[in-house]
Amino acid sequence: MNFICNFPFFSILLSLFSGTICSVLPAKAAKVVNRAVIIAVGLMSAVLLLYLLSTGEPFIYWMGHFPAPWGNEIRAGVLEAGMALFFCMIMYLSMAGGAHKLPGEVVESKHNLYYILVNLLLSSLLALVYTNDMFTAYVFVEINTISACGLIMIRQVGRTIEAAVRYMIMSLLGSGLLLFGLCIMYDLTGHLLMSNIKESVGLIMANGEYQIPLIVSVALMCIGLCIKSALFPFHAWLPDAYGYSTVSSAAILSSLVSKGYIFLLIKIIYRVIGFDIFNNTRIIDVLFVFGLMGMIFGSLSAIKEKDIRRMIAFSSVAQIGYIYMGFGMGTQAGMVASVFHILSHAATKSLLFVAAIGLTDVSGGSRKFIDLTGAAYRNKWAGVAFTAGSLSMVGVPLFSGFISKLLFAQAAVQVEGKMLASLIVLGISTVLNAIYFMKTVLRIYATTDEAAYTGITFRDMKAYAVTLVFFILLNVILGVSSQPVVNMIEQGLAMFA
Amino acid sequence: MFPILLSIFFPIAAGVFLLIRYRTPLSGEKRNTDRKALLLLTGCFLVITAAFAVAALLTGTGKDGFILFNLTKTLPVYFRIDSVGTLFSLLAVIVLPFAGFFSFEYMKHEERESRYYGFYLLAFGVLNGLCFAGNLITFYLFFELLTLSSMPLVMHSGSKEAVMAGLKYLFYSLCGAYAALFGIYFLYRNCDSLTFTAGGALRASAVAEHGGFLLVTAFVMLLGFGVKAGMFPMHAWLPTAHPVAPAPASAVLSSVIVKAGVLATIRVLGMFGTNFLRGTWVQTAWIILTLITVFMGSLLAYREPVLKKRLAYSTVSQLSYILFGLAVMNETSRTGALCHVLAHGFVKAALFLCAGAIIYKTGKTRVGEMRGIGKEMPLTLWCWTIASLGLIGIPPTGGFVSKWYLALGSLKSGLPVFDVLGPVILLLSALLTAGYLLPLTIYGFFPGADYDYGSLQKKEPCKLMIVPILILTILSVLIGLFPDIIASTIDMAITGR
Repeated sequence: MNFICNFPFFSILLSLFSGTICSVLPAKAAKVVNRAVIIAVGLMSAVLLLYLLSTGEPFIYWMGHFPAPWGNEIRAGVLEAGMALFFCMIMYLSMAGGAHKLPGEVVESKHNLYYILVNLLLSSLLALVYTNDMFTAYVFVEINTISACGLIMIRQVGRTIEAAVRYMIMSLLGSGLLLFGLCIMYDLTGHLLMSNIKESVGLIMANGEYQIPLIVSVALMCIGLCIKSALFPFHAWLPDAYGYSTVSSAAILSSLVSKGYIFLLIKIIYRVIGFDIFNNTRIIDVLFVFGLMGMIFGSLSAIKEKDIRRMIAFSSVAQIGYIYMGFGMGTQAGMVASVFHILSHAATKSLLFVAAIGLTDVSGGSRKFIDLTGAAYRNKWAGVAFTAGSLSMVGVPLFSGFISKLLFAQAAVQVEGKMLASLIVLGISTVLNAIYFMKTVLRIYATTDEAAYTGITFRDMKAYAVTLVFFILLNVILGVSSQPVVNMIEQGLAMFA
Repeated sequence: MFPILLSIFFPIAAGVFLLIRYRTPLSGEKRNTDRKALLLLTGCFLVITAAFAVAALLTGTGKDGFILFNLTKTLPVYFRIDSVGTLFSLLAVIVLPFAGFFSFEYMKHEERESRYYGFYLLAFGVLNGLCFAGNLITFYLFFELLTLSSMPLVMHSGSKEAVMAGLKYLFYSLCGAYAALFGIYFLYRNCDSLTFTAGGALRASAVAEHGGFLLVTAFVMLLGFGVKAGMFPMHAWLPTAHPVAPAPASAVLSSVIVKAGVLATIRVLGMFGTNFLRGTWVQTAWIILTLITVFMGSLLAYREPVLKKRLAYSTVSQLSYILFGLAVMNETSRTGALCHVLAHGFVKAALFLCAGAIIYKTGKTRVGEMRGIGKEMPLTLWCWTIASLGLIGIPPTGGFVSKWYLALGSLKSGLPVFDVLGPVILLLSALLTAGYLLPLTIYGFFPGADYDYGSLQKKEPCKLMIVPILILTILSVLIGLFPDIIASTIDMAITGR
């Protein structure tokens, strides 16, 4: 076996152990270790991606060379490697974009803890992406929850503690349901490895026995992951969790953590249940309807919001709705659109969170719209970045958001029964998006008479500005040359089967 | 291929270069020499861009079309020059450089001159792209970019009023474009491709199957793109946005950029095919909307005391003349419509530049204050008068030819009620047009006995201002004197070669 095949295992372990090391290091060193680990994992994922593209074959890696069922399995295909690479990029940019705020948000003595949590989060995300074993997936779902909770709570103000408790309860409910589903599945099939379960599921469906328990188990797993990824109407935990945590946490939580669960769901759909079997159940119709409702109600809540961070958080609810709508279409094209939207939303949402902090900083730290008046003139880079992110969210051509909308629409018109509903809701949601994002852009570019707050120039925020530029570039690249990415997604999904 | 690409990307690159090179306002001792260099550069860029566009039109290399890159697998960014595109491109190539030269003097005292020229060039490039776009998705791309690149022109002065007007413009345009995009999604399913083809691209089976829904789609698209052309009920942005821009920018906005909406309408008609829409409720509803706009625009212009605002209302009314001609959907009315694109383009540019010259020289903005202006600026007011005659439709000007064809086409159309009602409303509106344009001539040349002749000063603007006005005025008459040349091009446009 090629040396490169070790990389998925290396990246999970590297991030896991670097977390432990961070606990004894001083804060500065922990920061360096954290950045280095993200870069190293990113590089490894990139090499792995190139390797997989050249071989064109996914591979299964036996931990410790013990074959299953004694050993644990890791599986890597183009989609997994690509996702890992993308997660690392977003995580690095989010950390870099929020670094200057960290001292103000988190008590000095807890900086270590912060980096431990981030590393732990990265390792659990990577494990969710790479694992080929349902129980391992469950374990890392829990690790992910705990570290995410920590990331919310580490900024110790009243609201975050409340938000973290709420997140904890909802999230544990979600993992509980996932565990139920998993138990029933284990009972029915007798396996925990994804490929083995899939074989048994195929047999069960063919024999016609135990179909209902099987569907129940699938439904439980789906709902569990929906709660964790904040699909409407399970989104109650989201606005506070994203709205009050530290900048980097908000960016990471919104763009990576929820996406990790969604990616696990995709894996379950393809690798555990089988795409066709899943699409023949009514579960996709439920997902479709909830997705559509999320797209509208998320945006409506965002319109009503008077706090910029919470507004961006509510917009996530709408965007998650898009992704589930794609699942609900039950076609390959819908799935490709959803996976692309995972990338596009991750790139845009983290940009918005990071840009928003630049704007609130020059408005006396207030996040109310009224105080943000003219903020874009005080911090020009953040203003431009926020505008770019908004345009992408609204779906202006040349930004990533446009391509995902295009892909969704293309997928929708191929599904007879769901076309009209998808297109109309897509239209409504786009206009609603335009309303609240353009309202915000309007607000930050409105001119004020009195100079209540002082501005900031490039010299005072070099790292921050550079991060923003990278974020914008990422969005534009996804928007202009989407074809290679879409090809990769298609290839990766084909490898899943 | 290369002339087309150069005509699009050269001005965009040049615009970005100006924005970066002159990012700080010119000031200090070297202001004059620096400004000379800036103007020389801008002038060269404008001329070179126009030359590229003319080369693209003349060499005929674009007739076969070429794909620049694929946005998604089946949606290429595709350019092709057809005769409708040629007509609109001709207008842009003539008006933009002249209005640009006019700005050299007009913008003399502005602080952020370079920003204006930068976005001006950007808009030029995007306009070329819009004219040369060969399929609906490329067209949509440049349509959105046109809004974004022309918005800074509206907001140039930076006053609160201007910024709000710019955002109003942005918001209306985005919403309109999204309504249109909704239609594009649906068209994509029901057409073989989104490439512009003569006689409609709808599949016959689709027409039979979802005829009713396709009509709704067509109506939504016409309304959506109609926003840009200031069609009732979404016209409110135009009288707000156009007058606040600097006069030469208003000229370009009012004479060329709003025509993007007209071009879009023609493209939509081309996609659906006039045979499909003729005689349906869509046609009736559309004609009603255009006639309302024609009359209402003239009436509002008649009541408006501020000169530039009056001209903006006039644009609302005149553009719906064009849309009316398209809505009647026969060849004669269509010839009239296309002819009016050129006639209105030259006239409105000339009128706005005249208004700009008056404002620049005297600082007066209301028509009531401009008594005796013809004694001070005779040449300008003569140009105003001749151009006005063109808009009213008095032979031998271009406006006469186009209105003749419009009325003739309407009478020949055999539509119930509207075949007579149309020309009647057009005539009424022409009377109102005389009523709102000619008072300036009358009071300008004949200020009355009580006018204080002693305070008269020679205020004729310098050559840089008067020559563009003269040329545009002469052009507006010339197309009336030699309608054959125009008509033959338009014939080509109608037959779709």
